[in-house]
Order: sequence, then C-alpha cells, then structure tokens
Amino acid sequence: MIRIYRQLLVAQIQAAAQYRIQAVLWMLFSIIRPVIFLAAWTAVSNAQGGSIGTYTTSDFAAYYIALTIVGHLTTAWNSFEFEFEIRQGRLSPKLLRPLHPLHYAVVENLIWKATTFVPLLVVCALVAASFHVEWHGEWWHLALFVPSIVLAAALAFMIAWVIATATFWLQRINTVNTLFQRVGFMFAGQIAPLALVPTWMQIVSYSLPFAYFLAIPAEILRGGVTLERGLLYLVGQAVWLALMIVAFRFAWRAGLREFSAVGA
Amino acid sequence: MIRYLRMFRAFASTEFQFEMEYRGNFYLGILEMFLVIGTSIAAVLVMFGHTTTMNGWTLPQMIVLLGVYYLIQGGVSLVFAPSFERLMEHVRAGTLDFHLLKPVNVQFLVSTRHLKIVRLADLVLGLIVVIVGLFQVGEQIGGGQALLFSASIFFGWMLVYSLILSLVTLAFWFVRVENLLAIFWAFTEAGRFPVDVYPLWLRVSLSTIVPIGIAVTAPANVIAGRMDWIGVVLLGAGTVLAVGIASALWRWGLRSYTGASA
Repeated sequence: MIRIYRQLLVAQIQAAAQYRIQAVLWMLFSIIRPVIFLAAWTAVSNAQGGSIGTYTTSDFAAYYIALTIVGHLTTAWNSFEFEFEIRQGRLSPKLLRPLHPLHYAVVENLIWKATTFVPLLVVCALVAASFHVEWHGEWWHLALFVPSIVLAAALAFMIAWVIATATFWLQRINTVNTLFQRVGFMFAGQIAPLALVPTWMQIVSYSLPFAYFLAIPAEILRGGVTLERGLLYLVGQAVWLALMIVAFRFAWRAGLREFSAVGA
Repeated sequence: MIRYLRMFRAFASTEFQFEMEYRGNFYLGILEMFLVIGTSIAAVLVMFGHTTTMNGWTLPQMIVLLGVYYLIQGGVSLVFAPSFERLMEHVRAGTLDFHLLKPVNVQFLVSTRHLKIVRLADLVLGLIVVIVGLFQVGEQIGGGQALLFSASIFFGWMLVYSLILSLVTLAFWFVRVENLLAIFWAFTEAGRFPVDVYPLWLRVSLSTIVPIGIAVTAPANVIAGRMDWIGVVLLGAGTVLAVGIASALWRWGLRSYTGASA
C-alpha cells in the first residue's frame, strides 16, 4: 500500500506541477470568506467597546485566521467533481482498476494542500498583521491541534464522498451540495465563533458534524479550549469520522448497484 | 434602440424555453436561492444579536444592503455572466467568427446573448429583502429617493459589467481567463457587508479593482440617507467612464482576435 501511494504521489505531483498558478489562485477561496467575517466582527466588536462576551477584537482575529488555515486544510471538492466524472463516463475505467477511486482523490487532495500551504501562510501572516492578532495559546494547544486537524481533514473528506455518492441516485447533485454548504455556513462556525451564536444554534452545531472539522480545530489552534475540553473534542471528531466511513462504505456499495455507466 | 430591445426579448424567450426543458432543475435552483438568502440573513441577525450598529449601519439598513447585494449579483449573473462564459468559449474555439458576421453591435451581442433565467429568483428575492428592510427602516421613502435608488442599482450593474467585460477581453491575449473570473466571483462575496467595515487595503481593492464595494454600498447608502443626488450623479459619471474604458479595451482586444483557422 505504501509503495502504491508513493507511485501515486509522484504521478500526481507531476500532474499538479502543470497548474501551479491555478492552484495558488484557488487558494484565495479559502481566505476570502473568513476575512470578510473577521472584518465585520471587528466592526461589531469595536462598536461594543473592544470585546463581545469572552472575545476581544484580537481574539476574533486569531479565531478567523485559525479558521482560514483549518478551512484550507480541510478542503474537499469531491462532491463537486464526482458528478462530472460520472457524467463524462470517467468513473467506469477507474472502477476497473484494482485500487478504489478514493485513493487517487486522497493523493490529489494532499498534494494540493501541500503545494498551497506556504503561500496560504504568507497571506495569513499579512492579514494577521493588519488585524493585530494576538495568540494566547499554550504549547499543548499546538500538540492537540495536530491530531485534530488530521481528523478534521479526514472527516471533511469523507463527508464530501458521502455526498458524492448521492450522484448514483440523483444524477445532478447541485442542490444537495448547496444544501450542505449552507448548513455548514450556518453551523460550522463561519458566521461566528460557536460561543457567540444563540443557544439553539450551538446545540445544533455540536450535534452536526460540520463544526467538528471547522470551528473545533480552529478553537484548538487559537488556544481557546481547556485541555479536557480539547480531548473531548478529539473524541467527537473520531466518532464522526468513524460514522462517516461506515456510511460511505454502505452508500458506495449500494450506489454501485444503482450505477449504470453513462454510455454503457 | 428598439431593435436592440426586441433582440434582447428574443434572447430571453429562447433561453427561457431552454431552461424550461429541465423544469426540476429550475425549481431546485429557486429553492437553493431561498437557502442562500435565508442563511445570509441569519448571519446578519446573529451579529446584530450582539450589537445595534456596525460602523454606523443599523440592522434594517444592513438588511437593505443584503437585498441590494443579491439584486446586483442577480442582475449580473442573470445576463452578463452566462453570456461572457460563452464568449470565452467562442474565443478559445474560434467560433466568435459567427458573431462577428452578424449585422449588429458585437459587444451588445456577446454581453447579452445568453441568460440564466433562474437567476431572476435572485432579483425577486433581493427586491423582497430590500422592501422588508425598508419597512424596518421606518422612514418614508419618497419618490425622488426611489428614483435615485433605482439609478444607483443600474449604475452598480454597469460598473460590475465593465469590470467583467475587461477581464473577459483579456481572453483575446491569454485565452484562458476562467480562473481570473472565478477570483472575481469569490471577491464579490465581500459585498455582503458595507465596504467601510474593511481595512484600508481591502477597501481600496474592493472599490477600485473589484467595484463590488461601490456597486452594493452606494444604493444602500441612498436608502440610509447618506448619499444625495450629487453622489449618485458622481457615481453615474464614474460608471460612464468605466463602461467607456472597458468598451475601448474590448475593441482593442477584438483586433487581436485571430479566428478559427487563422
């Protein structure tokens, strides 16, 4: 398996090297929305005399910078791409190969993140400077962040694949994607840090998987959680990941039975 | 002029027939818009749960602004975005020849030929949001203010139009510009908040490089009573200038077009 992955990595790096500028341009998508909400919250916070609840203006900045980094590292676009692959008849040859299509996507995903991570950090540093970020974390926040972001990326990736399998039944999944994106927008901590949304929204957010790959790792990276709470969050992430893997296995197997290749 | 209006009506009706072939998709598109606008309003409500004003903008004024945002975006993605999408394909494939041969103004043809009718939903919903916001603002909006508002919306559309036209014109030299356009669309998201909340470097780029900041904030400012007719006239003058520059660029770019087999 490791050898297969090494081969895939080499092949995908070569493929990705052709589109370097494109990769960096797409990185901007990870940045724009958090910066917009950061600017808005900064205005609100300043109107309230420099802090809202436990968040000072510079805490907002730290939260949204962390959210940018987490959002970037948990990007998964397979739910958008999969529909296209089926329609173009590209899935069938992939199914004939001995390796599950998922593995190609894993490598593609990792390479994009690896190649765009440094430019992302540069932009984040600039934004951080212009919004006066202060980081109040401890060393163990960073240690906790490493497993948390790995779980988060895997969780977001698996959710994208679960959504993608809907294509087997629905053919076009635009609306499904929009639905998930907007629910994510509401409950993943993009609008505000979870501590600042109304109670009912907090309850929904903690019971849906979205916050577990966005707001929660961001709070850990910002240094906004206690150690006990952080560990609890990790367990939550792991549970959601396990659930999604199981859901994907079922959906994939059932979906393939429905699948009649385009052009077959 | 009447000839062009009639032509535009013909474009619209053919595109409507196209879209009606996939009726399910059409209704789902409308449903998506409800989701998008509903969640956006929720975001504003969450913020105003913690404050009564954001940089001097009250909640009703923010709702108006959000409505304007969807009006501007809806208008642009109803007509210009789908037309320019095809234009880029034509330039790449060389099929722009067929447009050039027609006895009409080519810029008009490539800017308006294709519509995405489902985006009318953005316009309607955006307008509803504006009206709801207006009722909350509570002040009487006179006829003059309504006129200024409509004018500034129109100028907003044309400002964004001239920017997209300039970006698309670059296709004559660089062929592949979809990514540039994608970046532009990502930036338009910033229009959901008044441009004055952003730090200076972002404000400058949102107002000059990506005029979405002006296009959305100006009409909302008219409603908020912060922009009088002088401001709107200035906005109009700026818009005429922008459209003029973009059209000149377009004509210049067209000269570099080499056609399908050349």
